[in-house]
Amino acid sequence: MATTAVDGASDRQQGAVGWLRAAVAWHLFLAVAAAAGALYLVQAPWPEATWARLLAVAILLLTIVGSGAAAVLTYRRRHAGRTLSLALNYLGALTTAVLLLHLVGTFLAIDALAANFARGIPWLVLLVVGLLVYNSGGALHDRVARTRREWIGRALAWFSALAFLFAVGLLTALQAVIARLVDSPALLALLAAALLFGVMAWALWRQPAADAFDTTNAQSEMLQGYLFLSPNLLGFLIFFAGPLLFSLYVSFTDSDAFGNAQWIGLQNYAEIVNITLQPLESADQLVTQVLDTDTYVELTRFSILGRHYVVGAQDKLFWIALGNTLQYVLMVVPLSVIPALFLANLLNSKIPGMKFFRAAYFLPSVAAVVGIALIWQWLYNATVGYINYFITTAVNFANMFLGLALTDPQIRWTSSADTALIAVAIMAAWQMLGFNTILFLAGLQSIPNTLYEAAIVDGAGSWSRFTKITLPLLAPTTFFVLVTTLIKAMQAFEEVFILMGMNPTGPGNSTLTMVLYLYQKGFQRFDLGYASALAWVLFLLIFGLTLVQFRRQRAGGSTFDM
Amino acid sequence: MKRISLILLLILLALTLAACGGDDAPTVDEVEVEDVAEDDIDSETGEVVDEGEDIADEDVTESVDEDMAEDVAEDVGEEVALRWRTRPDNQAEIDVYQSISNSLDDELEGATLVYEPGGSETSSYQDVLKTELAAGTAPDVFWIPGTDIADFAMRDLLLDLSPYAEASGFDVEAFYPGPMFHLTYNPETDQTGEVLWGLPRDVSTFVLYLNMDLINEAGAPDPRELAAAGEWNWDSFLEVATMVDALGDDIYGYGQNAWWGPYGYWINAAGGGFFTEDRTACALDSEESLEGLRFLQSIYQDFDVAVPYGEDAEPPFLAGRVGMFQNGRWATPAMRASADFNWDVVKLPEGPAGPSNWLFWGAYVVNANTEHPEAAWELVQALTTAETQAQVAELGANIPSRVSEEALDAFLTYSPPANNQAFLEGLAENPATEGPLWQGSWPEFDAVMSPALQAVLTGEITVEEFADSVCVEADRTFISGN
Repeated sequence: MATTAVDGASDRQQGAVGWLRAAVAWHLFLAVAAAAGALYLVQAPWPEATWARLLAVAILLLTIVGSGAAAVLTYRRRHAGRTLSLALNYLGALTTAVLLLHLVGTFLAIDALAANFARGIPWLVLLVVGLLVYNSGGALHDRVARTRREWIGRALAWFSALAFLFAVGLLTALQAVIARLVDSPALLALLAAALLFGVMAWALWRQPAADAFDTTNAQSEMLQGYLFLSPNLLGFLIFFAGPLLFSLYVSFTDSDAFGNAQWIGLQNYAEIVNITLQPLESADQLVTQVLDTDTYVELTRFSILGRHYVVGAQDKLFWIALGNTLQYVLMVVPLSVIPALFLANLLNSKIPGMKFFRAAYFLPSVAAVVGIALIWQWLYNATVGYINYFITTAVNFANMFLGLALTDPQIRWTSSADTALIAVAIMAAWQMLGFNTILFLAGLQSIPNTLYEAAIVDGAGSWSRFTKITLPLLAPTTFFVLVTTLIKAMQAFEEVFILMGMNPTGPGNSTLTMVLYLYQKGFQRFDLGYASALAWVLFLLIFGLTLVQFRRQRAGGSTFDM
Repeated sequence: MKRISLILLLILLALTLAACGGDDAPTVDEVEVEDVAEDDIDSETGEVVDEGEDIADEDVTESVDEDMAEDVAEDVGEEVALRWRTRPDNQAEIDVYQSISNSLDDELEGATLVYEPGGSETSSYQDVLKTELAAGTAPDVFWIPGTDIADFAMRDLLLDLSPYAEASGFDVEAFYPGPMFHLTYNPETDQTGEVLWGLPRDVSTFVLYLNMDLINEAGAPDPRELAAAGEWNWDSFLEVATMVDALGDDIYGYGQNAWWGPYGYWINAAGGGFFTEDRTACALDSEESLEGLRFLQSIYQDFDVAVPYGEDAEPPFLAGRVGMFQNGRWATPAMRASADFNWDVVKLPEGPAGPSNWLFWGAYVVNANTEHPEAAWELVQALTTAETQAQVAELGANIPSRVSEEALDAFLTYSPPANNQAFLEGLAENPATEGPLWQGSWPEFDAVMSPALQAVLTGEITVEEFADSVCVEADRTFISGN
C-alpha cells in the first residue's frame, strides 16, 4: 500500500516535471512569437492610430520580457517563474477567450439572447420545480421513496435545463459557432491559443507543480488571493485606468471622435486657461478697443479704486462654468451636510416609527435623478408650478387676513439667471440630504453611550454634549461626508441637464457647469480632445480641493478612519 | 450543492454560447438569400431558406461609377438588414413609424427594415446619434435636423446620394427649394446642386396657437379675421395680447419658448437675420435685426404681456392661461390631446418688412459607412413618398415636404385645428429656411447668440449692449473668424 502511494507521488512528480518542461518551451515560443509580432507591427500599415500602435508594441514587448523571464525562472524552478507563468497564461487565456467570443459575435448577439430568453422561461420555471422536488426528497424518511423523488427531481431539472437551452437557441448557436470556426483558420488558431493558455495555467496551478517549485503555504495563499482579486483588478485596469490614460492622451490631440486626431501638445490646456486683464479708459469702453478679439472675448469687467478693467478669456465658457460650479458647491455642500447632521441627531432617538422616518428621508437618494428632476421641473414652473402657487396663496392669505401689503414675488426659478443655479442646488441638496443623514446616523450610533451618560452625570447640557462629544467624535464621518459631497457637487451634470430642459446651460449660461460644458464639447460639438482636457482640469481641481480637505483634517488632529 | 452549482455553471456557459447564434430579428450582417420572398425567411432563425435572385439588376449600371456598381452588385441577390431611425415626439408617432417600417419592409425587395425610435427624456436624439456615429454603430439611414447637415456632411459622416439619384432619374425638385439648397450644397466648391445629402422628411412653420375662449372673454378682435382682412400685424398682435393679458395676473397674452426659432421670427420679420446674406458672418447687430429685437423686448419688458422668457409656455397655454402661443406644427398633437378649451391657429403677424416665418425641416440621410448604400437610397426614397408622408401628416405633427397640391390638400383635411391653412400660408409667405452654417459652426454660434438674446429679453442688458458685443463673439464661430 505504502509502495503504491510512493509510486503515485513519484508519477505525479514525473508528470509535473513534464509539464514544467512544456511550460518552458511554451514560454520560449511565446517570446519568439511576440518578438516576430512586434517586428511585423513596426513596419505594418496598421493600426493607423498612433496610440494603438504604441499600445500593441508595448504589450508585445512586455510579453517578450515576461515570457522570456518566465521560461528562465521556470527552468530554474524559482517560485517567481511559476507566478509569472501563471499570470501570463491566465491573462493570455482570458484575452484570447474574450477575443474569440468577440469575433464569433457573442457580445453583439447578447441582444439576440435577450430576445429569445422569453421562450425559455417556462422551462426555467420547470427547472426550479425540479430542484424543489429534488430538495423535498430530503424530508422523506423512507429511503426508497426519497431516492425515487430525488431521481425524479434530478431528471426533471436536467431535462428542463436542456430544454431551456434549446429553447433559447443553443442548437442554432452551436451550428453558427462551428460554421464560423470551420470557415476561419484565424478563429481556429485563436481557439487553440485559448486552450493552450488555459491548459498551461491549469497545469501550473495544480499541486504537483506547486510541489515541484517548493511553493510555501504563504505563497499559495498569495496566488489564491490574487486570483480572487483578479476580476476586480482587471475590471479596474480595463474599464477605468485604461480609459483614464486614454483620455489623457486624447487631451493632447484635436480628436473629433471620428478617428481624426493630430497631436497638438498643450494647446487645449493653453486655450482653457488663457485669460488677460486690460485697463479700460471708461467703464463702458468697447471691448474691441482693448482686447485682441481674434483671441479673447470679454469675460467680465470691474472697477477698483476708480479704475476700470476688463478680463478677456480665450474660452469664456470655461471660466463661466468654473464659476458656476464653485458657486454650486458652495450652496450644495452646506445645504446637504448641515441639515443632515441635525436630522441625523433627530433620527437617532428611539421613538416609535423612527425607522419609517429614516426610510422616508433616504428615499430621494435612491430615486433616479431623472425622475426627481422632471418632478422639480414642474414644481419650479413659474406660471403653473406648485411652489409659486403656494407662495402666491401664502401672500394672498397674509394680505387678506393679516392686513399686510406683500407683493407676490412670482419667482422665475429656472428662467432667471439670478435663481436658476439656486433652484438646481436646492433640488440637489434635497436629494443628497438623505444619504448624508444615513452616514451621520451610522457615525452617531458608533459613539459609545457611556460618554453621554458620564457627561450627564457631570452636568453637561444637551448643547455641550453635542459640541463636546458628538461633533469631535463624528469628525471622521463629517470628513467623509464633506469630501464625497464636494466631489459629487463638482461633478454636477444630470441635475442640471434634466431640470433645465431644452436649455441646460440656463439663462445667460447661469447653470453651465464644468461637466455639462465638457459634455457639450465632447458629445455635441465633436471636440473630444478639448473635452478630455476639460475633464483633466476638473480632475485636478477636485484632487486639489480634496487634498486641502485632507490636510486640514490632519492638521485638526483627527484622522479619517471610516 | 455541487450539483446545483454545476447545473448553473453549465447554463451560464450555454447561455454565453447561445448568444453566438443570432435571433429572430435580423442582424446587420448579410444573410445569403435564396429567395427574398418574405415567406421564405425562417421565422425562427431569420435566415433565408430558398434560392433566388429576385432583386432586379436592371438599369442601374450604365450611368453610375464603378464603386457604385460594386455596391449594387453586392446588394443584388442578397437579403440585407437596414436599420433606420427618426426622432418621434410621442408614442403615437413611434407607432406610425413602426407601421410605415413594416409596410415598407413588404414593399422593398431584398431589404429587411429595423426601425429604431431615437431620443428619450434623458438622452438627446442628436447626442446619442453622434456617439453612435463615433463608435461606428449608427443606423444605415437616420434623420437629422436641417441645422446639422453641414456639420455632418463636412465630417464625412453622410453618403453623397447624387450618383444613386442620377442613376434612378430621381427628381430632387419635387421638394421645397429651401431645404434642397442645403441638401445639395457641396462644401468643397461652395456650390449648390452638386451633391445630395438626403431628402427632407417633412417641413413645418410657426403659427400662433389661439385660446379663443380667452380672446373672446377679453373682447379682443379675432386674429383669424384680422389676418383674413390683411390687418394682422405687430400692432394688432400687441393689441390682442394686451387685452388678453389684462384678464388677470395669472393670464398672459402671448408665450414662446426659449430657443432660436421663436425669437428668430421677430428678427426676420423686421428685415434682419442671424447671418449676412452669404451666411459667412453675424448680422445680429444690423439695424433691422435690432428693430425686431427691440419690439420683442418691449413685449416682455415694457408691455409685460408675455409668459416670462425662459419659462416653458406650453403648460400655461394648455392650462388655458395664455392667449397666443407661438409654436410649430409639432405642437398640434399635444393641443388635440390636452387643450380643453376652444382653440385654433393663425399665421404669424406681418412685421415691418412684411410677412415672415421659418421653414423648419429635417432630412433622412444615409450613413457614410453603410454597407448597403443602394438599399439605403431605396429606403430614403420610400420614406419620402407622398403616401408615406401622408401617413405621418395624419397624426398632425408634420407637413409633407413634397411640393405637391395633392399632399397639401390631404394635409388640410387633418383637423383640428380648423385653420390648417395658416401653416401653408407660412410656407408661402417668405419663410426663412432653417439652415446649417457651411462656413461656420451652428452649435457654437447658437451658444453665443441664445444666452445674449435671453439676457436682452429678460432685461439684464439693453439692446445696445447686445449690439456692441454679440457679433464680436459670434463672428469667431465662422471659419474665417470675421
